[in-house]
Amino acid sequence: MPSLKNPAIAGDVQFDTFIYGAPPLAYPALLSQYTIYNTPDPAYVTGRINVSAFANLGASTPWPFFNTNVPLNGHVCVPRGRGPFPLAVFAHGNHNPFENSTPGYLYLCQLLASHGIIAATIDVNFLNGFNFGENDGRAIVHLEHLKQFRTWNNTATHPLDGKVDLNRILIVGHSRGGEAVGHASFFNRLASIGAVPLDGSVGLGPYRFGLSAVAAIAPTDRQFTPVSGPTVVPDSYYLIHGSKDSDVFTFEGYHTYERAHAVDLANPTVSDGKFKAMLWVHKANHNQFNSIWASETPPGVAMPRASQAEIAKVHLGALAQAVLLDRAEYVDVLRDHGAAVAWDPAGTEFVSQYQDPERIFVQHNQEGLAPPVVSLPVQGTVAADSVVAARQLTALVGGAATTTITLRLVWSVLGSRLLLRADPATLPAERYKTLALRVGQSTEANNAANRDQDFTLEVSSGSRTAAIPASSLHRLLYPDPPPFGPAKIVMQTLRLPVERLVERGVDPNDLRSIALVFDRRATGTVYVGDLQCSN
Amino acid sequence: MQPPQPPKISAVEVVAAQPTEADSAAIAHLSAESNRSLPQVVYVVKVHLKTKPPATSMAWALYVNDVLIPKYWEYADGIYFNVMDPQFFADHKGKRLRFSQNGVDFYDTGIKLPAPIAPAAASRSKGKAAKSKTTRLPLQADVLK
Repeated sequence: MPSLKNPAIAGDVQFDTFIYGAPPLAYPALLSQYTIYNTPDPAYVTGRINVSAFANLGASTPWPFFNTNVPLNGHVCVPRGRGPFPLAVFAHGNHNPFENSTPGYLYLCQLLASHGIIAATIDVNFLNGFNFGENDGRAIVHLEHLKQFRTWNNTATHPLDGKVDLNRILIVGHSRGGEAVGHASFFNRLASIGAVPLDGSVGLGPYRFGLSAVAAIAPTDRQFTPVSGPTVVPDSYYLIHGSKDSDVFTFEGYHTYERAHAVDLANPTVSDGKFKAMLWVHKANHNQFNSIWASETPPGVAMPRASQAEIAKVHLGALAQAVLLDRAEYVDVLRDHGAAVAWDPAGTEFVSQYQDPERIFVQHNQEGLAPPVVSLPVQGTVAADSVVAARQLTALVGGAATTTITLRLVWSVLGSRLLLRADPATLPAERYKTLALRVGQSTEANNAANRDQDFTLEVSSGSRTAAIPASSLHRLLYPDPPPFGPAKIVMQTLRLPVERLVERGVDPNDLRSIALVFDRRATGTVYVGDLQCSN
Repeated sequence: MQPPQPPKISAVEVVAAQPTEADSAAIAHLSAESNRSLPQVVYVVKVHLKTKPPATSMAWALYVNDVLIPKYWEYADGIYFNVMDPQFFADHKGKRLRFSQNGVDFYDTGIKLPAPIAPAAASRSKGKAAKSKTTRLPLQADVLK
């Protein structure tokens, strides 16, 4: 990608950084790290909000306010110029409340501001401590900060008057804040939560912001569950998590990812028009995404802090470029982490997934635990030749029980194959640019330790067949050993360009079969999420 | 590295306290939903911990047998949660407190949920009488000192 610039490199937009807050505030000496909010910039004075319907404040920390009047404190980097500028707002997660977690994302805010994005990092420290279930409160705080920016944008005398593009907003959360951005995306569309109106009548809401995407860094999942069931993120969703995370060590966010934009069995061809993308970073840990937090892993376990920060800058920078600045070429980084190989720290290993808004499932595996089928409306058959093919509710990433079915394929004979035959009249492959297969290997004994897994994808139309080694599309990495507990099975999206099939004589108008041929490793076990025609 | 260990509970007590404004709204909502008139009392369940683990993002969800306590909060000696509906104690008194990080693997704390030592008269009273009696209940902030 010679024309694309590394999104981690600062842009040429000048910006100013302000502290905003809600005086009068007088943090006590024990909370000395918060005294910066006692005297916010005079132009950036905010109000208080009442979160008592959602959260108590930990009674062990001497906050100079109650849950009925928590302040909207934060740091904001504002590009110089007329605007309007897109908005990105970061929120931290749970941590020792005596340490201010908020400035830990200034390195990302400064990067985005230098590219012409108003970028803020917010104070949710008052919900920190040995608490549980407060992530709805974190979501409300995040949305109320967005509301503050809307208020400033609509205030003629304010420096941000008319400068905030309220249709281009990215919310980013780390850790419990990462779970909370999912709830915020859900709450953003609601008129009330239980008995609490979000119409402004009791001070909260209304929201209904144009969220371009929601990004979660090493998030938790389901510590708060709405009465309607686990939160399904309705906006485009981006997830990043490290294999050496020793806090959120079960890759909780993967459950959120799987629930988002999942196939609707009643309307499998219908897409909600949103994408989702995931980046699994080998050797990244939990705390190093926040520049303030001390590493939670002993020396030598995780990658250096500077490398992890660089990865955050590359990939969150690319996300922001793509969804906030309409630089569609950066979507390539979301589609395939390989697009960023020149920018990421050398030698870093990643696994990534991407689901485009434009897709049709050839096989999604969510019909049930019966033997695998080709998924409707595509008509076809599935035949396993010397492959044990079983659909399972496998806990790929640990943590809570999963509700997403994966297809487990086990072989011990070279040349074994899983063959999907399709009626070409029902498979409009010619409308799409890519054949996308999610597949990953496990640490089961028939996969050689520390060796990439591999097989051949055979795609046929009529008498023409293209045989593409999976490894030519992406490495299928052996799982990175976790700090503790079982290794995660993280599937890689293999994206095979339809163009590459056409070059080999395969006619996408007449696509008749897709086979996984296990002819490159004598034995193995892989897990398949889905097979899509996609963009 | 070792996986985190669940906190150890040394004791549990239940103290009746005055509801906050938000609690009153929640009690009214619960009353309407359940079609029962709930008393204007909040039962603060104080779970004394031998040692408090550090504040991390992964959490130990607290269960009373199989019932998840949806929210709890830190105070000086441990954690606490609030109960609005006294029926909760009728249903769960004597059941085991358990911790889990994933809803699959549970750690029995060996401690059982006690009954509240609430002023029964206050919890059963209604109207003006109830108001005057609930005002005699301690504030939650005082209960948590």
